[in-house]
Amino acid sequence: MNNKKRDRLAVIFDILKIIRDKHNSIKPTPLLRYSNLSSSSFTEYYAELIAKEFVKEITDKKGRKYITLTDKGFQYLDKYNLILGFIDEFEL
Amino acid sequence: MAPPPPMNPMMFSTELLFTIIAVIFCFIIYFKTREIYKLTKYQGIRYFRGAFLFFGLSYLLRFIFSLIMFSRIAFDFILPREMFALLFILPLGYFSTIGILYLIFGLVWKRFNSKALLGLGHVIAVLLSIISFLTRSHRMLLYLQTALLIIAVILSFLVHKKDAGKKEKKLTGMKALYLLISALWLINLWIIDERRPFPIGIEIFFQLLSLAVFITIYYKVSKWLK
Repeated sequence: MNNKKRDRLAVIFDILKIIRDKHNSIKPTPLLRYSNLSSSSFTEYYAELIAKEFVKEITDKKGRKYITLTDKGFQYLDKYNLILGFIDEFEL
Repeated sequence: MAPPPPMNPMMFSTELLFTIIAVIFCFIIYFKTREIYKLTKYQGIRYFRGAFLFFGLSYLLRFIFSLIMFSRIAFDFILPREMFALLFILPLGYFSTIGILYLIFGLVWKRFNSKALLGLGHVIAVLLSIISFLTRSHRMLLYLQTALLIIAVILSFLVHKKDAGKKEKKLTGMKALYLLISALWLINLWIIDERRPFPIGIEIFFQLLSLAVFITIYYKVSKWLK
């Protein structure tokens, strides 16, 4: 995984995995911390995840914002190894 | 110009069967990869599946084109067959050039700006199909696409030479398969020339080889995307 685009797939996988491992509910600030990304990179990836509907934001009664995975997000996690295998097999 | 020899039942049957199988496998590969593309929006997958969509369409158009060229009765009464055939050269040239280019782009897209690459690809495809249309010759399309493929192979070797330090194989099995798909397209385009350059046995051999390549790709795709 030595190219930028492949890294992008891996970063998305890592972020989604963090959310899943935190019982599918995490606040934005800890997610930024666990993801080991710069603030600007995180904002960029986060916007992409929202746009692709991999994650959604939920606000509780006290107004606190949480991030959870959508079905599409779970699907990405499940298929990640297949996707990597496919890309490697066809040298894409 | 004397009309080409008619397509005999044997030629027609093999062409029809070959086209149906080739188009079905190309489209299956395209649709099977839809889900992972939608999930990732990965450019390499986009080019890969796009190549098979365009090859599928190209083989379909190639069959229609050959039917027109080798038909004895249907076209010469109202409009000459060349005029009907000409209508198909534009889409045939465009789709098949894009198919070849997408296979190449799938391998090299990481080194280039994707939008620029895509734009260049469409410009080349439009140019090649217009030149073939203006020269009224699918043979011209064959020459231009052969030149394009040779240039692409030379460029890829030059790029590889530049990156000699990287641990990347020069010609892997998959690259050879992509090259074979493009080369077989050119041979299959040559086969439908008015002068029929090969005996029917050789034609069938190339058609079987083309199907074997598509089935191999389909099998590899199915291995990952059940």
